[in-house]
Amino acid sequence: MNTYIIALFLGVFFGFSLNKAGLTKYHKIVNVFRLTDMAVLKFMMTALIVSMSGLYLLRGLGLVTFPNVPATYVVGNIVGGLIFGVGMALSGYCPGTCAAGSGEGKLDYLIPGLLGFLVGAGIYGLTYQYVFPVISKIANIGNVVIPDIWNLSPFLTVVFFALLSMFLFYLIDRAGLQRKNKM
Amino acid sequence: MKRIINYIRKDEWSPYIAGILLGIVGVLAVWLSNSLLGASGAFENIAGLIGTKVAPTLFDNTYFKYVMPPGITWGVALLVGVFFGGMIGAATSGTLKWGKKDAANSDEQWKSIFGQQTWKRWVLAFVGAIILEYAAGIAGGCTSGLAISGGMLLAPSAFLFIAGMFASGIVTALIIYRRRY
Repeated sequence: MNTYIIALFLGVFFGFSLNKAGLTKYHKIVNVFRLTDMAVLKFMMTALIVSMSGLYLLRGLGLVTFPNVPATYVVGNIVGGLIFGVGMALSGYCPGTCAAGSGEGKLDYLIPGLLGFLVGAGIYGLTYQYVFPVISKIANIGNVVIPDIWNLSPFLTVVFFALLSMFLFYLIDRAGLQRKNKM
Repeated sequence: MKRIINYIRKDEWSPYIAGILLGIVGVLAVWLSNSLLGASGAFENIAGLIGTKVAPTLFDNTYFKYVMPPGITWGVALLVGVFFGGMIGAATSGTLKWGKKDAANSDEQWKSIFGQQTWKRWVLAFVGAIILEYAAGIAGGCTSGLAISGGMLLAPSAFLFIAGMFASGIVTALIIYRRRY
């Protein structure tokens, strides 16, 4: 029971951050793809820097073991991502932001969104055996992390990722990588 | 103190500050529950729960028996929390839409591109949501379960997924917006 309370509690902060970052707004999501407002990208990459620093530090100190790492099967991950992007640009949400937007009282999130996810989940579950085993077999390297497969220092990998992100933020904010919104 | 409260009340935070908050939540999920943040998996659990009640023979397959068993999982509790988190976030800035006139079609930019009709927004959103959930199944997670949770562990799958998502998102936006892209 205790673990469900933790989940609920963490979920509240998760949803809160999605709301404050503006991810529960259609235009915020779509304008990333139009390259006119890169806030969502900044939000995601900042979260990644913080969490990967924290987790690799805690692992180094022996305080955590990583849970089941999402499996890498190159073709499936990319194809899934390609289809996902279409859905995201059409609807302006993803499963998490739709739940948060529903809580805000947006009916175009609450009804077609949550219903669509449940229908999609049903369709996926019913067709799973014809799709997933085939696509996940191609170039499957299992539940791996980059520092392990390439034999890199986790510390340097995280530092490298952080520097790369900051360079990208610099390009977006200062060097005019972001396009002007012509709306 | 007053400055902090005023900042919390703001409708939109700096993406860096909000990102730090999400990052901390991601670390705590692993530290306290040895779990990863996610959303699409919870929809699978709930769909299984409904499906096995409504059409038990149809949903009696490998996927709902072994891969994603129906039930109120950790992820479902998280998703319920996300719902209330969004609500609290909007409440602090006074932007709750419950009972408001524009609740059914909530985005101005959408209306300026597609028009005022609510049904259009709902049809596209519904189709989009089905596509999203199916794609998350194939990829092994969604923006939170794979991109964020996999990315923070430095799993290659997360970055492959993000690359695919941006490539097709940009192309789709180009097609939809055409001259107004």
